[in-house]
Amino acid sequence: MSTSVSAPPMASAFGGWLFVALLATLAAVPWFTGSVFHFHIGIMVCLAGMATGGLAVIAWVGQLSLAHAAFVGIGAYTSVLLVTRLDLPFLVGLPAAAVVAGAVAYIIGAPLLRLRGVYFVLITFALNELFRLVMLEFPGISGGSSGIAGVPKIQLFGITLAAQWQVYIFTLICLAVVMALLWLIRNGQLGRRFAAVEENPALAESSGIPTARTQSLAFVIGCAIAGATGSIMAHYVGFVSPETFAFQLSVSYVIMLVTGGRLALWGPLVGAVFLTPLPEFLRGAVEYQHIIYGVILIAVLRFLPQGLAGLPEQIARLRRDQR
Amino acid sequence: MSFLIAQSIINGVILGTLYLMMAIGFTLAFGVMRIVNFAHGEFYMIGAFLALIGVNWLGLPFPLALALTAALAILLGALVERIVFRPFRADELSGMIASLGLAMILQHAALIIFGPDPQSFPALVSGVYRLGDLIVPQSRALTLGVGVVILLAFYVFLMHTRMGRALRALVQDQEVAAIYGVRLEIMYPLGLGLGVALAAVAGGLMAPLFGVSPFIGATPLLKAFIVVILGGLGSIPGAALAAILLGLIESLTSSFVSASAADIVTFALVVVVLLIRPAGLLGRGEA
Repeated sequence: MSTSVSAPPMASAFGGWLFVALLATLAAVPWFTGSVFHFHIGIMVCLAGMATGGLAVIAWVGQLSLAHAAFVGIGAYTSVLLVTRLDLPFLVGLPAAAVVAGAVAYIIGAPLLRLRGVYFVLITFALNELFRLVMLEFPGISGGSSGIAGVPKIQLFGITLAAQWQVYIFTLICLAVVMALLWLIRNGQLGRRFAAVEENPALAESSGIPTARTQSLAFVIGCAIAGATGSIMAHYVGFVSPETFAFQLSVSYVIMLVTGGRLALWGPLVGAVFLTPLPEFLRGAVEYQHIIYGVILIAVLRFLPQGLAGLPEQIARLRRDQR
Repeated sequence: MSFLIAQSIINGVILGTLYLMMAIGFTLAFGVMRIVNFAHGEFYMIGAFLALIGVNWLGLPFPLALALTAALAILLGALVERIVFRPFRADELSGMIASLGLAMILQHAALIIFGPDPQSFPALVSGVYRLGDLIVPQSRALTLGVGVVILLAFYVFLMHTRMGRALRALVQDQEVAAIYGVRLEIMYPLGLGLGVALAAVAGGLMAPLFGVSPFIGATPLLKAFIVVILGGLGSIPGAALAAILLGLIESLTSSFVSASAADIVTFALVVVVLLIRPAGLLGRGEA
């Protein structure tokens, strides 16, 4: 499945600005309402958007990882342990989280990425479970099933981000950085290489693209982003446990990615913006939340294979066909 | 020591039989339709609830409740194939993601209907069989017996009936099977229906031992996964071998090391097998 078909340049430029304006308005909502709760949701959207963005990079080379939560977990634990055990500042913990998650991805990536399609999904599923079980087995590191509570708040240059709005601004910046990185990859030579590998690995290999290294690079970048997200998440929530990073979290990232658009640049962001606040709008019907998630997932797969991000394009095509 | 080993082996075989019931349906769905069904465990849960409704609410005898459970599960499976999976026939990955959604829907529907609390199921038999020093609880022996009978019946169906032959032909090669007159629009729903019915019957059988709640599907799904990966996706003999192997490994590791070590050992084994031989022990090389 390829997405490289783009809308006419005029329409896409206008649509692009409209989209950015819409996003900026959405991002500003918590300041209008001034509600702490809305800031919290905003932060969760940013974190989900970052993690799903990492998953998207892996998806761009044609692999779907169900171990993404484990890499978020690796980042979270790296940062938490560095900050609490070694008294290092958060600004060391955050990059360290990304580096460690990326390094783990690099080491296990080589044998892992030989598998394709459902086999890759299956092995990443098994690895996520393995991560959870192994972490539970070592309570000295992970805090066991009761986890580690009282993780210190995010601290930047001696300023503690105690208020929700401060954290929100920080996560917005981080999200912007991740999206900028994704944009750079997408529009650079690397992105074209990724797309070639996704579309037809054999052809890509024979035209001189080192497919194994390309996939490994995408996997490392995606997992490093997940690790950084984990670090921020842990210091914001103040609590980590192996159960936080279970299979269900991986599934929710996959749902966001697929709903937003598996191969689109804005897919992960659209998915996170659309699905993260959804439970809050369903307050009266919390128990239906997961059912609605499931229905949305299946409906999007069925009727919008390019995800919500591909919706404008699909509508445009419909219009063209009618003319 | 030898007594402990023998006891562990007996427990391992019992576990293996149960895993096999879960795994055969799962591997059949993959073999026939190329669907990795993450919702397979939820059908185990549904089977347990159906049996509970039959026995507790309607006062049916257990065998009748189990038969009804199987029949309803076949219908439900066929329905799910029609509504959820049919559009994704050509696309393994989308079908798998759709099954994640289906699993969420089924589990939380059960949560809304039955509530989160585990419900107890009346014991069918009590007491133990003794063979020298070895102890086998009668309830487990009964489950084992019924499980083996169902598996044998399924084996006969697959090997010696027209429909079973059609299913096996589909597993081998869809296009050729279709050319030879296997009717896909009947065999696909039937394949998934039978597969989830096996899971549902396993759920009904297990209900008296482990209780019933909306969350009981997760563990059997995991076991089915492990068995099927070890045995090879789509391979039924592979599933049989791997199920018994897994039962024995789990039982022996948990008697001699610890229960959590058993989990880690099996998952590590899965990772190793996938890396060295992605097609599984007896699967066909295609990965």
